[in-house]
Amino acid sequence: MKQNTVLLIAGIVGLIEVALFWVSVVLREPLIIIISFIAGILLIYGAKRTISDRREDERSALITQKAGARTLEVFWILFFAVSLGSLVMGFATPLGIPPPPKPFPRVPHDEPNLGYFGLLQMVLLFGMAFLYIGFRLYYARKYGEWDDDEE
Amino acid sequence: MENGTTMKNKIKVHRAMHNLTQEALAQEMGVARQTILAIEKGKYDPSLDLAFKIARRFCVNIDEVFVYEEN
Repeated sequence: MKQNTVLLIAGIVGLIEVALFWVSVVLREPLIIIISFIAGILLIYGAKRTISDRREDERSALITQKAGARTLEVFWILFFAVSLGSLVMGFATPLGIPPPPKPFPRVPHDEPNLGYFGLLQMVLLFGMAFLYIGFRLYYARKYGEWDDDEE
Repeated sequence: MENGTTMKNKIKVHRAMHNLTQEALAQEMGVARQTILAIEKGKYDPSLDLAFKIARRFCVNIDEVFVYEEN
């Protein structure tokens, strides 16, 4: 399979995921998007393995490896800091983490808080993606990705 | 390139002697042209595997192409 075909498949899968996310919200059923997202990613990874015109060599592998390692190195600090901030919210009650009230609040009363937690996670994940892109550009430049000479 | 050492190479000279372009050498080695360019410019140190392949392509010993220098 050609690399461009895989990119096209990834784009189509992305659009389907957006539609399924909407369906999931309308039906109030998180399992739809969770399962379909995992299935979509597996499909894209499976398609990537069949690429026949891949132009990847040891230098580009090193760039990917270094960017990934540096992203993790920085991201865990950001993630830990935000998690600590969230813990403060949990412990900032007179008796520590309060037990869930009985009966445990049912939907839709308690849903918005969980939703905002998901939003925070998404912001962190997008931050991670931007970090990775930034480090990738840095290492690509360092290892001469855009250099040119007289030839 | 680290710990006060540098890896220099004479790929450009050997390429000229064998009348090879970067693209042609890259194709024979199974890497991208940018990789050959980055090695020539000293921005990337090749793996031992690639270094031996390049030396063998030019029919010389590896230390005739790659020179390890301590600053």
